[in-house]
Amino acid sequence: MSNVVARRGVLATSVFAPHVLRAQGWPSQTIRLVVPYAPGGTTDLMARLVSQPLAERLGVAITIENRPGAGATVGSLAVAQAAPDGHTLLMSNIASHGIGPSLYPNIRYDAVRDFSHIALITENPSVFVANPRAGITSLAELAQRHRASSGGLDMATSGAGSSNHMLVVLMGRALGRDINHIPFRGAGPAMTAVIAGQVPLMSDSLPSAASHLRAGSVVGVAMSSAQRHPAFPAIPTFREQGHDIVGTGWFGLSGPAGMAASVVDHINREVRAILATAEQQARFAELGGTPGRLSAAEYTDYVRREVEYWAPVVRASGAQPD
Amino acid sequence: MKINEKDLMSGLFLILIAAVGLWLNQEHTLGSARRMGPGYMPLMVFWLQIGLGAIVLLASIFSDGEKLTRWTSAEIASFVGGIAVGTAVWWVLKSTGGFFGQTYNAVGTGMLAGFLVLSIPQGWRILGVINAAMCLFGLLLEKMGFFAALVGIIVLSCLAEREHLKKPVGILGCTVFLLVMCWFVFIKQLDIRVNLWPQL
Amino acid sequence: MELLLTNLAHGFGVALSFQNLTFALLGALIGTAIGVLPGIGPVATISLLLPITFGLPATTAIIMLAGIFYGAQYGGSTTAILLNLPGEVSSVVTTLEGYKMARNGRAGAALATAAIGSFFAGTVGTVLVAASGPLLTQVALSFGPADYFSLMLLGLIIASVLAQGSVVKAIGMVVFGVALGLVGTDVQTGQQRFTFGIPELSDGIGFVPVAMGMFGIAEIVLNLERPEARSVLTNKVGSLWLTKEEFRRATPAVLRGTVVGSFLGILPGGGASLAAFGSYMMERKMSKGRDQFGSGAIEGVAGPEAANNAAAQTSFIPLLTLGIPSNAVMALMVGALIIQGIQPGPRMVEAQPDLFWGLIASMWVGNLMLLVINLPMIGMWVKLLQVPYKYLYPAILVFCSIGVYSLNNNVFDVYMTVLFSVFGYMCNKLRLEAAPLLIGFVLGPMMEEHLRRAMLLSRGDVMVFLQRPISATMLAIGFIALALMLLPSLRKGKDKALAE
Repeated sequence: MSNVVARRGVLATSVFAPHVLRAQGWPSQTIRLVVPYAPGGTTDLMARLVSQPLAERLGVAITIENRPGAGATVGSLAVAQAAPDGHTLLMSNIASHGIGPSLYPNIRYDAVRDFSHIALITENPSVFVANPRAGITSLAELAQRHRASSGGLDMATSGAGSSNHMLVVLMGRALGRDINHIPFRGAGPAMTAVIAGQVPLMSDSLPSAASHLRAGSVVGVAMSSAQRHPAFPAIPTFREQGHDIVGTGWFGLSGPAGMAASVVDHINREVRAILATAEQQARFAELGGTPGRLSAAEYTDYVRREVEYWAPVVRASGAQPD
Repeated sequence: MKINEKDLMSGLFLILIAAVGLWLNQEHTLGSARRMGPGYMPLMVFWLQIGLGAIVLLASIFSDGEKLTRWTSAEIASFVGGIAVGTAVWWVLKSTGGFFGQTYNAVGTGMLAGFLVLSIPQGWRILGVINAAMCLFGLLLEKMGFFAALVGIIVLSCLAEREHLKKPVGILGCTVFLLVMCWFVFIKQLDIRVNLWPQL
Repeated sequence: MELLLTNLAHGFGVALSFQNLTFALLGALIGTAIGVLPGIGPVATISLLLPITFGLPATTAIIMLAGIFYGAQYGGSTTAILLNLPGEVSSVVTTLEGYKMARNGRAGAALATAAIGSFFAGTVGTVLVAASGPLLTQVALSFGPADYFSLMLLGLIIASVLAQGSVVKAIGMVVFGVALGLVGTDVQTGQQRFTFGIPELSDGIGFVPVAMGMFGIAEIVLNLERPEARSVLTNKVGSLWLTKEEFRRATPAVLRGTVVGSFLGILPGGGASLAAFGSYMMERKMSKGRDQFGSGAIEGVAGPEAANNAAAQTSFIPLLTLGIPSNAVMALMVGALIIQGIQPGPRMVEAQPDLFWGLIASMWVGNLMLLVINLPMIGMWVKLLQVPYKYLYPAILVFCSIGVYSLNNNVFDVYMTVLFSVFGYMCNKLRLEAAPLLIGFVLGPMMEEHLRRAMLLSRGDVMVFLQRPISATMLAIGFIALALMLLPSLRKGKDKALAE
């Protein structure tokens, strides 16, 4: 037994960085990166992809702490209340900092004022996919089938209140008749139902739908980015098909409000440098994400605009807790 | 007529909880059978629970007498007192700032105080002390660190056992052993995220 | 068939390389260790270990992670049997007969049965995955929301079979468990239910705080209150190995459990969590030792443990054939693969034959290793029971507390555990049973989800539950089970009423 444990001790170390000379003051200790989701999700994955090279560049270890709960707001609140010394960071994202502020009326932080937003890591579009046997390959066909059927079309998503759900709401408004939103607990079960043909359509984020699109188990109907996505050039955007719907999921790096500007800029520089490497570019392209290029000020502005953009959509969706 | 007191209380308990649930459920929309609202399932579940509670209650009157142990007056006093003191402590602390304003420290302190009051009479001693020890652990862990929290929970929980009171050296040995073991397992090997020492 | 053998041979070639064997062993050892620690689950451990897998070849990394997954299952039954501490749903069932066996001085036999039963079921499960994975996927896909609802309802009905005493009280506890499971964010609308504005409750009450509180901590209090009970625990150790009689009784239970578990494990909508107690119910009704249930029947350990492990194997099928993880551990494995640059998906068999067949072969190798590791350790585990209780209980308490805290790095869960320990203590005094409550707690939310989804898709037509053949069959079985259960107690009640 002691042997068992001893061996795993060798393994259970965090992301160790080589010993590099570092600047005075910051970073002086291990950096805690809070991921407000359970391990295994897209946010968790992105955090791990970026934290490893970041730890090497900053010369300190970065440990990932998963603090899931309440649409990513529990972990976000913990970071908002932490000391702004640059040693506690957060994977900010569309749920906690874009949609959440409108979705949870008694949220205990301000998505803009209570954080120092540092860098946008990635944006990824959502995609409407259909079971190949459903015979829906374009929004025109979707609209026609939606009007023709007596009960309307069903569309699955990974859950109520997600950006994918909001796109279903926007599409329903554009067609003048609500699409039957069928929420699931996570993208996996929803995708299973679509592949099995129990639900004909799904609104999913591209990273989780990518492998199923490549394998042909589902077909792409429309992409929610402004331009066609380089990894899936055959799937037209909503705009091309006559509906002005654009909405992308995003993840970024943020810290508590009041972080020193020098530290914020330092991290922003390093993150952008990491995202610009060929290796990361290739990795992101495969997953269907676009690496971020914003400065810290631009990212702060980005978050502010997201909060404003989603507020009316969330109200229209009826996904209003309490 | 003999009454099965355990079943009587069980039935009352199920009915009471379900009634509270139904009352709370009023704020949730019911929806229709097609698009069930958040209140639909709770409504069905709580009514079913009331029905089952009622069956248990009725059956208790016609079955053999299974008696509950009588509470002594000291036990009743400390039970009521524990709830009162715990609530009062929580109520006072939750509006003060600093340590008690953070996370669940006010709740934890209230629960700790409540369980300590509960543990005064003999009958509640073990229940009160063991749970108080866990509350103390929760209170100390983040602010005072891993080791302080461990010492707190171990020493307090040992007081639940009479033999430890007679030979306190056992508590010391137990504490040292568990401190080393927990450090080795949880910190050295599993590397869980927690402060080891007081954060001042 | 020939192709299968070639592929398997290829797989064993991959799995038996020195590096892969080493990491399979390592994973199994780590898994066992964390399974034994209450509250520390495979999800937390795997996420801690992910950075290490960056440096390993993809196949090796996945083999190690799978080893942790199985190891945790083995380790979990150890604490369930020895200390009445269930870390997951399947172990709740193991505590029922396993802990009783331990109190009767048969802890060694219970542990050995669990290990051997699991190994056998694991072997069968692995063969199933290899031979008919794609075929079984079709079974999984044929289950719609209506079918899942009826399956869950059937599960809840038979959960009351877990009752040691009154059936009606047990059903009451199942229903109360369902009610507890309703706390949290409503999946359909995102509305908060019964959360009292507490953000931690928005994801529901955690399973571990409920299980630890009602079983582990409440048990400590009760043991301390009855000094005579713990002397039984420490003095009787008995023979470590199975007697001939025990072996004869356990064998058919393992076989039945394997069949039940293999089938339920395929269903990604919550089938695996039904496996253990589905088998428990079956043993309680069908096995020769059914009279001994409630006082330490070996069938009640052998069947559920086998079912659980068989389900653990076959639950890999959706991941391997559709690329869809059916639980959190597998979601993490998918994450590890993506970090390695491999997109798991339907094409994994052709694109990554090494990975696919290597993993299948190593499933079996991992199970064999666990058997080899665990059998000799039984003696040591049983010795643990000889530690005087006054030293053992602070250790259990401390391990539970740290484990519960580390679930979400949040003291909230510690306080929840305290509340449920008081509740568990009260239930014990009132003879309300905790096991049916926990089953209701786990299955309830799934049942609601499937019910509402089925109704959304059927446009509110209840007949869908009777029109679909799978669903109708489940409902019929459930109805018969309920009738069989209630009739004897009704008759007994009537006799008594007449006698008065």
